[in-house]
Amino acid sequence: MARISYLSYTAREFALDEDFQQWVLQPDVRNVFWERWLQQHPEKEAVIREARQLVQGIGFRSYSLTAGEKEQLWEAVWNGLEEDTVQPQTTVRKTWWRRSWKYAAALLIGACLSGGFWFWKGGNKPVLLSTYTRLGEVKTFLLPDSSAVTLNADSKLLYAEQQGRHREVWLDGEAFFHVKHTRNDAKFVVHTYDKIDVEVLGTQFNVNSSGKEIVVVLQQGSIKLDIGDKGSNHPTEMYLHPGEMLRYNKQDGDFSKSSANAGKFTSWHTGRLMMEDYTLADAAAFMQQVFGKTVIVKDTQLLKYKVSGSMPLIYNADTMLVQLQKVFRMQFNQKGDEVWIQKK
Amino acid sequence: MNTGKAVRPGMNVVPSPSSLWERFLEGDRHAFAEIYDSHIDHLFHYGMHFCQDKERVRDCIQDLFQDLWLSREHLTTSIRHIRYYLISSLRRRLLRSLQKDRRWQHRESWEAFEFEFTYPQENKIILEETAAEQQRLLQQALAGLTRRQREAIYLRFYQSLSYEEVAGIMSMQVDSVYNTVSKAISILKKNISLPLLLLLLGK
Repeated sequence: MARISYLSYTAREFALDEDFQQWVLQPDVRNVFWERWLQQHPEKEAVIREARQLVQGIGFRSYSLTAGEKEQLWEAVWNGLEEDTVQPQTTVRKTWWRRSWKYAAALLIGACLSGGFWFWKGGNKPVLLSTYTRLGEVKTFLLPDSSAVTLNADSKLLYAEQQGRHREVWLDGEAFFHVKHTRNDAKFVVHTYDKIDVEVLGTQFNVNSSGKEIVVVLQQGSIKLDIGDKGSNHPTEMYLHPGEMLRYNKQDGDFSKSSANAGKFTSWHTGRLMMEDYTLADAAAFMQQVFGKTVIVKDTQLLKYKVSGSMPLIYNADTMLVQLQKVFRMQFNQKGDEVWIQKK
Repeated sequence: MNTGKAVRPGMNVVPSPSSLWERFLEGDRHAFAEIYDSHIDHLFHYGMHFCQDKERVRDCIQDLFQDLWLSREHLTTSIRHIRYYLISSLRRRLLRSLQKDRRWQHRESWEAFEFEFTYPQENKIILEETAAEQQRLLQQALAGLTRRQREAIYLRFYQSLSYEEVAGIMSMQVDSVYNTVSKAISILKKNISLPLLLLLLGK
């Protein structure tokens, strides 16, 4: 994009520029470039302010539904969908529960075709299934208990269920869990291939064991952590509340609890990269985890360079590199699986 | 300096989280609920500006979501922008519904109320106190745009759709959308006098 030419723009021309409008309309999405531009060209402040006013001068009468009306409309949507089912007396919830099994089965077959394998023994035997993602690939699975798991790139997941009682998964990599609370309060345990287990009933949380640390971030509900040697009888028990995170160092077994902006750690599962004080080091870790790219920087000071904002996550290494390069305003050079970064 | 006119691809537009859409396509009803929650306000707002008939808007939105769920297996996985997709679909439904209704055959008198401009709330107080007359003149000038032009401006500025997407929904050339927006900006610029502008800037 012709950035240089912005220097000669009048307020009217800025107000007409799609990219500029986007910044005014959705400042959280498009701020990195424009805020920097303004910093570099402080003399343009008056023009920019006038242009902002022009864009903001366009307003529309507001119309809104109340929360109740929205709820009603949503129910009307479902009720309309329910009309064609066989037993109208069953509740919406039950019918959907039954239907969801069909989708679960379809998803499992999908998982099987896409590289995982699974076996489902009849009778009272446990249900076992496993799946994985490759580099640059993210997948969401519905487990047989209706819990949803989004598996980040280059991760493996093994699931075992004891006849609707105890649910267990073994995770290598990163996953976002949306665990269904069962009627009989069956536990759901995430085992990492280290000394941490995460135990929940029904909640939403993220576990990342891909790097040097294992990071557990809770978005909703509450979780119990068991830290320590699997064999020993004295693991450390700890609880996390929403917005809290635990970092566990794989090398020395040290761990610490802190508060966290859960969004920053979990947004990937909704397809966005939230970059709040996002350093080049964070970006490097991301490229390593998701695309298997090794980032090489000669001047390590660059790694501390920070930006804020958010961008869509696209599971294509080249596209992401171009986007990050723009955001950080640095030169990225790819050589095979290595990315060399230097100042522009 | 026509470079600003070029429609830039994807990056500046806010693409919807595609994985949410994919989860929805796989039959995940949480994802479906999430899509409803995050788009219902914008859809209703658009619908009300389109035809001012709350019942009709609600019916069309209900149909839209029901069809969305039922036809998900046939929908493409590569939806770049969910809001764009939903608004174009709602627009077709509203048009179809209005065409069937004889009462709406002669509805010119309503048109002035559709996609009607107002000053954004935060500027309102200043305006009421200092320049009510000026605002009236501005409203008049903006009302001089046709309904179609106002709709295009609405889609760009309220719904944040790109010039290209607006053109797609309204079956217009991208250039015409740009020219329409340009016309509105000119009107605004002409009608916001310097003292008022300074006042707005000072807040």
